[in-house]
Amino acid sequence: MRQILKTDKIKIPEGVTVTSHARTVTVTGPRGKLSKTFKHVPVDIQILDGGKVVKIDSWFANKKQAACVKSVLSAIENLFTGVLKGYEYHMRLVYAHFPINVNIPGDKGSIEIRNFIGERRVRKIKMLDGVAIEKSDAMKDELILKGNDLELVSLSAALIQQSCAAKKKDVRKFLDGIYVSERTNIVKE
Amino acid sequence: MAQARFVEIGRVVYANFGPESGKLCVIVDVIDAKRALVDGPTTGVIRQQMPFSRISLTEFVLPIKRNQKSANVAKSFDEHEIIKKWNASHAGKHVASALRRASLTDFERFKLMVAQKKKSLLVKKEMKKIKPKH
Repeated sequence: MRQILKTDKIKIPEGVTVTSHARTVTVTGPRGKLSKTFKHVPVDIQILDGGKVVKIDSWFANKKQAACVKSVLSAIENLFTGVLKGYEYHMRLVYAHFPINVNIPGDKGSIEIRNFIGERRVRKIKMLDGVAIEKSDAMKDELILKGNDLELVSLSAALIQQSCAAKKKDVRKFLDGIYVSERTNIVKE
Repeated sequence: MAQARFVEIGRVVYANFGPESGKLCVIVDVIDAKRALVDGPTTGVIRQQMPFSRISLTEFVLPIKRNQKSANVAKSFDEHEIIKKWNASHAGKHVASALRRASLTDFERFKLMVAQKKKSLLVKKEMKKIKPKH
């Protein structure tokens, strides 16, 4: 059964301006500008009420298309949080015997990982656009990734975590790695 | 851009396919997701079902009730002078000119070609003044 109209909307928070044209949504806020395209989803995106409400319409949607309405809204909501508060991911270096040696060059745009399970191989991970990484001062063996775009920050964290995988070993025993420990915002309430 | 013209009771539509093609009629009821009950008493469309794939929505809406009787639909149609508004509208003029084009004789098409060539020559002259070719 196709639902004639599946619609949903969210309020735009104070301090954020949103424009949308041809399913490309651009969000501007105190922390900068973010934009996202939804060209893979057949929805109508409207900014209503003098810039206070984002409304998503899906006409004659089957089950999967109707589900996309809330997905698009959540993605846009993440853009709002990104430009207002930003995203901060904390990662812990976990090792049993071989200390993981981490080096971050001055521009905070990449990370070098050495001595993971005693391996000679140096792992170099480049951070994605707009994501900065640094070693935490407050806590030992902690990395902090900061950025506005949730997808880019979380993807950078995932790239680091997946680069440090124990190969040809029993992973129940060899638990070494760099794992995400906390997901918060840069601007803390 | 969001949906601007809705399928609703009273929406004046233009039948663009089928035996009633070329005629204006009014949506009087919606049968299901694919069909509407249309009626055009003043334009020669008997009250019948019509699939949405055969109609184009116009910009005009009549304030009629669901399943309004044909006589009252005709009254509302004439009251709001839909035919006059349609002929003056952009879409209506386009439909009329498309019909005219399809009915041209060979001699008329020749005359059209000559006129088009004259026009494009004038346009090219002016364009050259603004933007010289490399």
